Amino acid sequence: MKFFIQKDRLIEAVSDVLKAVASRTTIPILVGIKIDTTDEGVYLTGSDSDISIKSFIPREEEDTEIVEIVEKGSIVLHARFFSEVVRKLPESIVEVSVEDQFKTVIRSGNAEFIIHGLDAEEYPRLPQINQENSFTMPTDLLKNVIKQTVFAVSTSETRPILTGVHWTFENNELIAVATDSHRLALKKATLQTSLEQDQSFSIVIPGKSLTELTKVLDDNQEPVEIIVTENQILFKAKNLLFYSRLLEGKYPDTSKLIPTDSKTTTKLNSKEFLEAVDRASLLAREGKNNVIKFAILENDIIEISSYTPEIGKVVEKVKSLAVEGEDIKISFSAKYMMDALRAIDATDITIYFTGSMRPFILKSDSDDTILQLILPVRTF
Amino acid sequence: MTKIIQLSENLSNKIAAGEVVERPASVVKELVENAIDAKSTVIEVHVEEAGLQKIRVIDNGSGIDREDVPLAFERHATSKIKNEQDLFRIRTLGFRGEALPSIASVSKVEVITSTGVGEGTRIVIEGGVRKVLEPASSRKGTDFTVSELFYNTPARLKYMKSLHTELGNITDCLNRIALAHPEVAIKLVHNGRTLLQTNGNGDPRQVLASIYGFKIVKKMIPIKAENLDFKVEGFIALPEITRASRNYISTMINGRFIKNYALTNAVIAGYHTLLPIGRYPIAFLNVIMDPILVDVNVHPAKLEVRLSKEKELSELITNTIKQAFKKETLIPDGAVPKTVKPKSEQISLTLDHLPEDKREQLPITNNNNVKPREIQTLNLNRGYESSVLSKEEREVANKFVQSLMIDRKEREEPTIIHESTSLETDVDESTPLFTNDNSIHTNSTENESIVDEIIENDTEQFEDISEVKSVSSNRVPPLYPIGQMHGTYIFAENENGLYIIDQHAAQERIKYEFYKEKIGDVPKDLQELLIPITLEFSNDEYIKLEENLDELKKVGLFLDPFGINTFIVRSHPIWFPKGEEKETILEIIEQVLAMKKVDLKKLREETAIMMSCKGSIKANHRLRNDEIQALLDTLRKTSDPFTCPHGRPIIIHFSTYEMEKMFKRIM
Repeated sequence: MKFFIQKDRLIEAVSDVLKAVASRTTIPILVGIKIDTTDEGVYLTGSDSDISIKSFIPREEEDTEIVEIVEKGSIVLHARFFSEVVRKLPESIVEVSVEDQFKTVIRSGNAEFIIHGLDAEEYPRLPQINQENSFTMPTDLLKNVIKQTVFAVSTSETRPILTGVHWTFENNELIAVATDSHRLALKKATLQTSLEQDQSFSIVIPGKSLTELTKVLDDNQEPVEIIVTENQILFKAKNLLFYSRLLEGKYPDTSKLIPTDSKTTTKLNSKEFLEAVDRASLLAREGKNNVIKFAILENDIIEISSYTPEIGKVVEKVKSLAVEGEDIKISFSAKYMMDALRAIDATDITIYFTGSMRPFILKSDSDDTILQLILPVRTF
Repeated sequence: MTKIIQLSENLSNKIAAGEVVERPASVVKELVENAIDAKSTVIEVHVEEAGLQKIRVIDNGSGIDREDVPLAFERHATSKIKNEQDLFRIRTLGFRGEALPSIASVSKVEVITSTGVGEGTRIVIEGGVRKVLEPASSRKGTDFTVSELFYNTPARLKYMKSLHTELGNITDCLNRIALAHPEVAIKLVHNGRTLLQTNGNGDPRQVLASIYGFKIVKKMIPIKAENLDFKVEGFIALPEITRASRNYISTMINGRFIKNYALTNAVIAGYHTLLPIGRYPIAFLNVIMDPILVDVNVHPAKLEVRLSKEKELSELITNTIKQAFKKETLIPDGAVPKTVKPKSEQISLTLDHLPEDKREQLPITNNNNVKPREIQTLNLNRGYESSVLSKEEREVANKFVQSLMIDRKEREEPTIIHESTSLETDVDESTPLFTNDNSIHTNSTENESIVDEIIENDTEQFEDISEVKSVSSNRVPPLYPIGQMHGTYIFAENENGLYIIDQHAAQERIKYEFYKEKIGDVPKDLQELLIPITLEFSNDEYIKLEENLDELKKVGLFLDPFGINTFIVRSHPIWFPKGEEKETILEIIEQVLAMKKVDLKKLREETAIMMSCKGSIKANHRLRNDEIQALLDTLRKTSDPFTCPHGRPIIIHFSTYEMEKMFKRIM
């Protein structure tokens, strides 16, 4: 195998693929990046237990040559060393050639690296994906759907299914739900798609995979094709394939958990409220669970407070834009509240309470596709 | 007027008693050791009130002649050594000739003894003064009674601990003597209650069983090693059985229980990385060596000895233990205590209904013995699976031998009771009874040899199997993953049942074995120091270091003399951890002072453990099935796949039988 390539394009592709390479693994070859050269261009592949990323660098783009392929072939190179070497090469053109015993020479300008590679034959194959259920959505919408839900997944493998985001697709509407059983994030998106009306599916995608996906996708409007199979999902973007396994098992039915009516509603300026919660959490952080207190006083004033005996106390009053219904005193995790407020990302939000021991929900007035639910903390 | 006088003999005996007879247990020890030196085969010890009221030791040894009896209570009178040369060839437990007069000086002693020829002798001594010396019955052996110990030394009596503690000391002491002399039947009775009883069939396992219980003995494996100077034999417990103190490591030299820090440490070193922190093994070692290599004459209690070639012996022990574990599968069982498998249960049942004649058992044992061999040869052809199967078969055979042992023990019990009653009540008639007993004894010894044969055959088989195993080089059977729990534990199965594996510990072990070797290879490059390090030592350390400077140069440490007792270091090897250069140098020097050589692997072992821990997958980390399979396969290739470098277990096994038992499919 031998090829010349533009360094910038190689760096870009390597750093994308590197996201899928595990630092710790039980299969040693997975710490490497697989490089394949074909007539079309160069493919880079990285993989770990959850995701596989395949990046493509075409021979030509807009009539400029990016890759010159001298000899076709495959090799696996240690990911960390390869990416660091490529990043620091002196010239804009890089030569990569494989010699005997998988010895790989990387040349650029006057620098020459010889890296011991591994046999590409031993690299696990990527999953075969048949075009079963597929639909497309714009990159920015996809990233939004992920960002507004993925933070709420559980990080503990105790209940593996909760480490994923639940995607259901029905009647051209995608609903994404994530919960760690203390809070829940929900986002809806309507898709213009060629999918038939009655087509539907329900899958659970690992939260980690989605986080990595947002990192490798560019911010643009270009459509991403999404293909779903029984245990894999494939995101096809321009020059990039992103595979993720799907979580097995049944996701709990969350639709009944979301209260439909409320006893108290209050409308707040999102930014003002977020800053107040953030300040209150400064002292709460030291205590248990990062808990702050929320109370509705007279004249639509909200009091946010936190008290940690060893450190001190903070009280802040926030003017509510509107209050309806009963007074309420409630405690909750400042972190969950801040996560939710940041996810909604709107000027004004409305909180719907149904009692100090009951879950409450946050919604945006301008955007009804997003909903955040938080469970209160019982304080004594 | 002279001030210095020669002390009376009685007084000097009392002084000697101060160190020889420290507590009741010391009396028991001296008397039982005397009985063993007198070639007894049956020894009974009766104590009352933890020995403070009465200690009675009855043996069937050679006895003492009438003329010798008074002499035995003289200071420095002994039959065990005769001249100076003998002092360096001590094969008996005692030799100082101090015990009897010491004991007699602080208690009331009554001895009835006979050599079996002519009439016996009875002597009564109170506080070192002879009261009675008269003819007595002529049962062969000695009946030694010590009453009211310390009655005339109130100061010592006052410092006795609680009865419970003193009794504990006595039991402990007898346990160890019994272990060292499995060929002697020893019985300990306290206030009429039997605390220890061994049958003297020469198998230390039987003694271990009566001390630690059968369950633990089943988990002990025999070890054996020999070089030109030493012969080491013993039993060591599998690492899954641990204790919180080192007291469970018993070391014997030439049949004498001794305490030796170096040997104990050698045993622990053999368990290196197999035991959790702060836990110690159960082990019993008997070292046979030329008496000339050991100096027992250190302290009257003879607990400490000085060993020539101590280092060589320690290495032999450590390596033997390591080797022993290399052959074993050290997967601890799951929650349910292992019970006899139905197969072997059935065999032992049929045995129970067999007639008493022991001859008839022989063909059966042989049958059973042949069976696994046949299967094994068959299995050899079948390749890998075979070793697993034949191992099972071997277990069955093992169980069988054990059940045989239990069986015999039960049958022998009545004999011992019978004999003891004869001793206590009817001394005159006891002579014929004793011969009778002896014949039973020889009978059982014969039977013993049969069992030994079986055991021997068994070990032969075992070696065969281990050969087969070493070909495939796997001590963990092939495992097929079922799945993962909480992203932390791997569940796997094979024909033997369920295995639960800690994924982090498993990879830690794999990485540790990789780094352990690599860590010793350090670059030879040196880093020059702008400000040199000066190291000050004490006089003797300085001299020792000067001798070993070459050893230090080999690892790139150049010490130059720099004034009185001080060295200066101007450069250090580049691999030294940053900011810890001086500490590392001192650590290496400490190694040189202690062992006269530098072992970088050992020095950097902690680093290796840390590296392996950091480089391994953690808990809460999901693995694909092929990743699990890869992990299990690599784990099987490691040399110690059972514990992580910190000594925690990696694999736990639930056999199919245990699972069925848990679900009450088998009651």
